[in-house]
Amino acid sequence: MLQGLTELGQQLIGFLTLRYIFDILWSTQLGIIVGMLPGLTATMGVALMATLTYKFATDHAVLILICMYIGAIYGGSRTAILINIPGTPANAATTVDGYPLAQQGRAGEAMGIATTGSFLGSLFGMMMLAIFTPIIGNAALNFFSFEYLWLTIFGIIICGTLTAPKDPLKGWIAGFFGLFVATIGMEGMHAYRRFCFGNVDLAGGIALLPAMIGVFGFSEILMVMKQPAVKIVSNKIEKVIPNLRDITRYWQTIIRSGLIGTIIGAIPGVGEDIGAWVSYDFAKKVSKEKEKFGKGSIEGLIAAETGNNAAVAGAIIPVLSLAIPGSAPAAVLLGAMIIHGIRPGPLLMIEHPDFVIQVVAMFLLATCAMFILGLSFTRLFCKILIIPRQKLMPVIFCLCVIGAYALSSRIFDIWVMAVFGLIGYAMKEMNYPVAPAVLGIILGDLLDKNLRRSLILTGGNIIPLFTRPISFVLVLLIVFTIVSRMKWFEQIISFFKNRLKILLRGKAH
Amino acid sequence: MGRGEKNDKMKPKNMDKADFNTSIFLVIFGLAIFLISIRMPTFRNLGANPYSAPGIVPAILGVIISIFGMTLFFRSVARKGYKIHYSLSGIKKIIIKRPIQRFLIALFLSLSYVFLLRKVDYFLLSSAYIFIFILAYEINIKKSIIQQNKTIIFALAEAVLIAGSIAVVFRYLFLVRLP
Repeated sequence: MLQGLTELGQQLIGFLTLRYIFDILWSTQLGIIVGMLPGLTATMGVALMATLTYKFATDHAVLILICMYIGAIYGGSRTAILINIPGTPANAATTVDGYPLAQQGRAGEAMGIATTGSFLGSLFGMMMLAIFTPIIGNAALNFFSFEYLWLTIFGIIICGTLTAPKDPLKGWIAGFFGLFVATIGMEGMHAYRRFCFGNVDLAGGIALLPAMIGVFGFSEILMVMKQPAVKIVSNKIEKVIPNLRDITRYWQTIIRSGLIGTIIGAIPGVGEDIGAWVSYDFAKKVSKEKEKFGKGSIEGLIAAETGNNAAVAGAIIPVLSLAIPGSAPAAVLLGAMIIHGIRPGPLLMIEHPDFVIQVVAMFLLATCAMFILGLSFTRLFCKILIIPRQKLMPVIFCLCVIGAYALSSRIFDIWVMAVFGLIGYAMKEMNYPVAPAVLGIILGDLLDKNLRRSLILTGGNIIPLFTRPISFVLVLLIVFTIVSRMKWFEQIISFFKNRLKILLRGKAH
Repeated sequence: MGRGEKNDKMKPKNMDKADFNTSIFLVIFGLAIFLISIRMPTFRNLGANPYSAPGIVPAILGVIISIFGMTLFFRSVARKGYKIHYSLSGIKKIIIKRPIQRFLIALFLSLSYVFLLRKVDYFLLSSAYIFIFILAYEINIKKSIIQQNKTIIFALAEAVLIAGSIAVVFRYLFLVRLP
């Protein structure tokens, strides 16, 4: 414990130079602005920044990306409070109580509470990150090809289920489509070019970052331009420094939401939006002031904002320990780490023993910067919301083009961005979640190698794939996740529930 | 709000039709992946383990995508998604909707920009793209150009300034090569 704190202190001191502080401040503020602007998401911001900082030193680039990530997830709360539109999907739950507070003339207070909730959620998540990453990483050292194979499929299935709760089939289709996309190009075992049809550019495969910039950038531009313009309603912003009593009164909600946010964030591909909603729902269920929820509840606002920012740290835990991202921006972060020569996963602790504690230090600095910037220059930066979309979107597209091109200087990557932008747009229009597709592109290589390795090890016998204890548990989870969404299963469950009720009633009489 | 402004979200009925079309595409797509995959070499002649064949994983994925496509197909059929009526007047009706027009303008301009990259100087192309993009949404075709000279001048100034800033910042600060 003491050794860990000493190492954290050393890492923090290492980052306290003028250059680093300057970079922390501008990247966090840029993240807040990206988060604030409807149509610009944390994923888009982190993806663009990942390509633009790839010439920076590893720690420098990762620091900027973490600042951008934390800033953007927090920044969306401002739009949610001021104009009832979540700046990023992670802030959708914030609108429920944030906007009613603004309508009551308490926009400044709501923003202060959202900032403090985000700060505390982020700190809670950071502690979980420091504690659980080494534990999970060490446990994952016992994983073999079989476990990785099932972990990949479990990630896709659970991500598909949670990101498309009304229609999980579409989530699974998106996930398996992503896995297929990852098989395009030269494969790792025999250097055979799959699905290239003689195209040299395709032999290099579909690069993750241009595809992500397309899915989260270009498709959003098309969506934003299609929708009617957002009318900005001016809300007076008074003091944003929150009342300490408001925060201490809801300490249980903060801890609960922090825990829920971190756990949800750590589930592959699920992300901050679901972390916020689940935290909000739990807070509503156990609250003593249920009637205030939806009408401007401080507790609801704290729960949503603590949940989404705790999910940021939660999403980074599987990135560092298993090389499996917990959310879309974390997927970009994973890609950026790989580009910079860091190999996240169980071997991270052996190859780069200081890296996890370095990430924790970065997280702490970004969280502090978000808190300070969140409570200052509020009125000034909220004016950015006035920029009309037709002036902003072409600039964003120019950045998407540079972002896609920057990594390999290939025009092909710009076309990948454009094509994936169109695919992403079509998917969103038809209610297919894009997060499982992105997770599929990331996990495709893991699935490809581990399935073939497993079959080679077993000589084509598939039974051993199911019989190892961890594999067996993962298979059960996959089957349960799929079956639990089927109508006949729900009917059986409700039948048994009714029978149980009748039995209990009979006993009572 | 103009004509069709409220119709930018797909209705459930249209969603069933879209699902029906998508399901057919997915079944064919999955089968195509499967057929291409099983034709991939196994490298057995070089002594490789047959289970290391590059086609194994995509073949399995193709089958799974086809199964999902079939499930979507049966579901959309049950919801009568197969009752599709395409007509020229129907397509016209869709195109004249304001949200679709706004989408098509953004799509056309953005794809044209990508197509012209490296064919035209980056700064000039980016300036022109931003300028036309702003004007496409701000200019009112019912008014004369002279009446809207302020809009045009501001759009031009913004376009040149922003394109120049992007080029300078990314070239010299982020050390990124420009297309």
